Amino acid sequence: MSISEQQAPNAGDEPEAPTNRPPSMERVRSWLSRPYAKGIVGLTIVLGLLLLPVSWLVLVPMNQTGAPASEIMKDIEQTIFVFTLVSTPIVAFVLAVLLYSLFKWRRHKGDEIPAEDSPAIRTNTVGVMLWTAVTSVLAFFLVVWGLIELAQITSNAYGTISADEQPSDEKALIVNVTGQQWTWTFAYPQYDNVVTEVLYLPVDRPVYFNVTSKDVIHNFWAVELGVKIDANPGAVTQTGVTPNKVGDFNLRCAELCGMHHAYMQTEIQVVEKKDFHSMMREMGGGATT
Amino acid sequence: MKRLLVTLATVLVGIGIVAGVGVFSWLNEREPAAIVAKVDGTLKTPQGELPHAKLDLSIYPNPSDKIAGPRTTSAFQEDLLNDQPFFWPSSSIQVPANSAVTITFYQYGGPMGQIYNDYFAEVHGTIDGTMKWNGKSVSRMKATEVTHTFTVHQYTESNQPTFFLNVPLPINGAKAKMDKAGYAVEPQKVEVTFITGDPGTYVWNCQFPCGDMYQEFGGAMQTRGWMGGTFEVV
Amino acid sequence: MSSTATVFGTEVPQPVQHGKPGGIMRRLNLVTALIGGIGLALVLGFIASRLVPSGASTSTFAPVAPDIVYLAVLVGWVVGFSVGIGAFVGPIRWLFARDLTHDDAEYLAGRGQGWHRYFKFTTDHKVVGIQYLVMTMVILGFGGLLAMLIRTELGITWAEAFSPTFYNSIIGTHGIAMIIAMILAVTGPIGNFIVPMMIGSRDMAFPRLNALSFWLLVVATIPLISTLFVGGIQDGWSVYQPLASQGTPAMLGYQMTIIVFAISTGLSSVNFLVTIVTMRAKGMTWSRTPILVYGVFAAALMGLYAFPFFQYSQILSLTDRIFDTSFFDPLQGGSVWLYQNLFWLLGHPEVYVILIPALVLLMEAMVVFLRKPLFSYKFAIAGVVGVMALSGLVWAHHMYMSGWAPAANYPFMLSTELISIPVGFLVMVLIGTLWRGRVWTRLPMMAVYAVVFNLMIGGVTGIYLSDVPADQYFHGSMFVVAHFHYMLMGAGLFGAMGGLAFYFPKLTGRLLDERTASIGFWMAFVGFQVTFLSMFVAGLQSMPRRVLQFDSQFNVSNWVSTIGAYVIGIGMLIFAGALIASWILGKPAPANPFGSKSLEWQTPTPVPLENFAVLPVVTQAPYGYGVPDPYDAELMKKDGDRVSPGAGTQ
Repeated sequence: MSISEQQAPNAGDEPEAPTNRPPSMERVRSWLSRPYAKGIVGLTIVLGLLLLPVSWLVLVPMNQTGAPASEIMKDIEQTIFVFTLVSTPIVAFVLAVLLYSLFKWRRHKGDEIPAEDSPAIRTNTVGVMLWTAVTSVLAFFLVVWGLIELAQITSNAYGTISADEQPSDEKALIVNVTGQQWTWTFAYPQYDNVVTEVLYLPVDRPVYFNVTSKDVIHNFWAVELGVKIDANPGAVTQTGVTPNKVGDFNLRCAELCGMHHAYMQTEIQVVEKKDFHSMMREMGGGATT
Repeated sequence: MKRLLVTLATVLVGIGIVAGVGVFSWLNEREPAAIVAKVDGTLKTPQGELPHAKLDLSIYPNPSDKIAGPRTTSAFQEDLLNDQPFFWPSSSIQVPANSAVTITFYQYGGPMGQIYNDYFAEVHGTIDGTMKWNGKSVSRMKATEVTHTFTVHQYTESNQPTFFLNVPLPINGAKAKMDKAGYAVEPQKVEVTFITGDPGTYVWNCQFPCGDMYQEFGGAMQTRGWMGGTFEVV
Repeated sequence: MSSTATVFGTEVPQPVQHGKPGGIMRRLNLVTALIGGIGLALVLGFIASRLVPSGASTSTFAPVAPDIVYLAVLVGWVVGFSVGIGAFVGPIRWLFARDLTHDDAEYLAGRGQGWHRYFKFTTDHKVVGIQYLVMTMVILGFGGLLAMLIRTELGITWAEAFSPTFYNSIIGTHGIAMIIAMILAVTGPIGNFIVPMMIGSRDMAFPRLNALSFWLLVVATIPLISTLFVGGIQDGWSVYQPLASQGTPAMLGYQMTIIVFAISTGLSSVNFLVTIVTMRAKGMTWSRTPILVYGVFAAALMGLYAFPFFQYSQILSLTDRIFDTSFFDPLQGGSVWLYQNLFWLLGHPEVYVILIPALVLLMEAMVVFLRKPLFSYKFAIAGVVGVMALSGLVWAHHMYMSGWAPAANYPFMLSTELISIPVGFLVMVLIGTLWRGRVWTRLPMMAVYAVVFNLMIGGVTGIYLSDVPADQYFHGSMFVVAHFHYMLMGAGLFGAMGGLAFYFPKLTGRLLDERTASIGFWMAFVGFQVTFLSMFVAGLQSMPRRVLQFDSQFNVSNWVSTIGAYVIGIGMLIFAGALIASWILGKPAPANPFGSKSLEWQTPTPVPLENFAVLPVVTQAPYGYGVPDPYDAELMKKDGDRVSPGAGTQ
């Protein structure tokens, strides 16, 4: 499509026109009039529409056990939805070219070298620029989306504050999570250091986790809450979330930690606030904050 | 035609190798045969009258001529584990469902250090949160008094009931009499009773650093048949 | 003995010929190497077992003897094998100031030895290429065997077929074996055999280093296989510390494998870089260099700067274990994050070392089977160079969840998303070359469809993982496993298979039975989709990775994956069978069965020792295929008195 621009030899007789180039719309229309162009554009649209439901379908397995149970998890699901949606046009286009090439441009079978060559298209400035622009715009959109979302999630959690600075939010719950081979234990420093092996959380109250390990690296993954952070020996990492749904959820270890890594799982029980307080009291910890 | 035969031969040889290695590995790596808790009458529990099953488990500090220890997969592994503790007679434990189960532990080893997490020096998951230690009822031990634990795991599957049991096992003190094999002449005896729910498959392992290598959680602590195994409620 | 030799018609004075041509190399081959390796291993092992006081144990109560004896055995194997294959003959010859005569050099290159030369220290790049091909297939077979075992265990959801420790060992060993095989899959056979011919040279810049890097690969493979018999590496292929410090002595085997393999790839990388920069034919400017050469160059450069990090992480792990250092032991002041950084500084560029050669190889094949030039050759180069440049800036996206430096997550997310742009250029080139091309439906051409399809799925799922909040869900789950299998196996392995089908006539002198090979290829492709799409579902459902037992909600996706895996296994075996059958019994191939205009196809088959009788001179841009675009003629007519046609100049 790279048509060089030339002055018409008798330009001086006509009213000033810089070139003989047909207006852009006509160039686009004339390109679209080619059978393969119609075919690929049409196929892209059809495939795009067919792939559209994938953006919703990917969320179905994620919600099988009760997710989303927090704002963070909702954010994550929304991100996956948007990213799938945004990738659909490019995937549809590439698949369309593959299919069209397979069915419409396939020509030669067998062992003989084909006698006829294909059109020698070494480049196509419009095509290359369009592809570069679209992919760059998409990439930047994804980056900006991701950076903003990460900042939001971090301000909900407190991933960048050191262990010495406890949150000033008095309503927040602090849980010290200890991972060790191959069990999790949870200590509630605000409740006389009650220790449990099931994670009990009150609904609608921010909780900050101080996570550490007694031996090797584990990974604290509260699945339906959308929270994950490594449990490292000799260091304390933090994350936080506000559960907003009552129920039983899963806590898995997501970093290979030895023989019983697969069995290093426990329950998260998110309960009503008053139920939580009575549970803590039963286990011997009146609230100290 | 010949080419097709060569191709077919490749496929069959490949399948054969995979199947062979698979079966060999399975046979070599199998869990020890299970010991089953024997039902013996009933027991009155807070959940009513339940069938009562009993089981004995011993913990030895190292293999010896007296007790050979669990099967090893190679002479090399035997070398690595020849001074490591193990549960006996098997690490695969089977208990009946919806019953009251009593396990009696006989601990033959000496002092070993300190447990990392005091939570596992406490008794969890038994009927009244206590265990009988040499006849005395206790609910927790001192961190330096523990030498092993019997910890049945949190849970693996969401469609079987949650089950967690932790029994700290006490040391034979530094002054205890040991026989030639290194076992205590009079082992520590611990008895726990707990209630099982519906059938499920769980695993158990020791939570005390009694192995070797980093944090003493290597060696026997990472070998099925020694300090960890399966726990089936059938 | 004559003191001159006739080299291409010219008399060249020669140094004194000591003994028969080749000297001691006449007697050294794989058998002597095995004798040397096993012999010295046993000797050193025996000495070590005598030197270590019985009952000695480390500060953490581990027995010292197994570690030291195993280490001695490994060192004995490495040194003994190298001596036995003749790796030290060259340096010793320099010590005695004995130069190689022309006859010596030709002997080393395999002149007149028939099939024996494949089992010796042979410097001919074509021999080294075939050796790499066979070794790669062996390692792939080993990794594939382990994959079948893994999937069997995961498919048996109602019981444990293997113990957890054995399962942990086989997933780690499968991982590192496949990584090693994939690094070599294209650069080994194709890079060694084809690239020197493609640039119009007679051999690589350092032929003896070439032979050495192959034999070091053989040396490195044995310790890896031995780990399965000494307890297994129960820590995944990334052998994170400090879990590795709880490991069986097999960890030493892994460390030795990597230390030696890193030397092998380092030598190989230097060889490729110098060859490509200095030995291109007269007239082959950078704008006339085929894209495969660019891709291999980029892979070599990435391998060169990145592999030392991996090697270093394993050396430090070794000293932590043997000498009680505490680089990675946090309780003694070390850092677990140090290990992760060192590891992933290699771990990320390495996946591009695997991917880029496969993609550029397919680009080379496509132009021949479409008979049109590569679309936007300049952007292809930009893509390759862009990936190479950015590859070193993204490694910490593997550590988003490690808590190492939460503030660093932002810049690494930026760089990781940005690398999708140069990768996108490569996709654009592949699609653009397909555009309006008349397809000759041979297997290497059809492989392009499989690879682009897999690359799209792998790429999009990679975008999810590059986003830190989304990674908060996906890290450590089967989603990651499915993603990297799509990239490394879906694009990497299937691309290598297609490329091998392309160069098969030149490498082996026979025509590939494409019908059978295609059956195997597509069977593996279908099985691949079933296995790994189902694995994505398992990951979305939250199944963690490296687990042998899991919640019953993941049962169905695992059953489906296992069935798919068996289909892949059969398909791969059929493909391998077709390769072997064609190699032994195939029709002899003509010199240029596909009508390629590239330099490597202008040699006769079988390729003579010196490749070209007269070194070629390049006068044209690459990919001189294609006819003028008929639409351009049409446009010319429409635009009336336009002068120059616009059929795609650059």
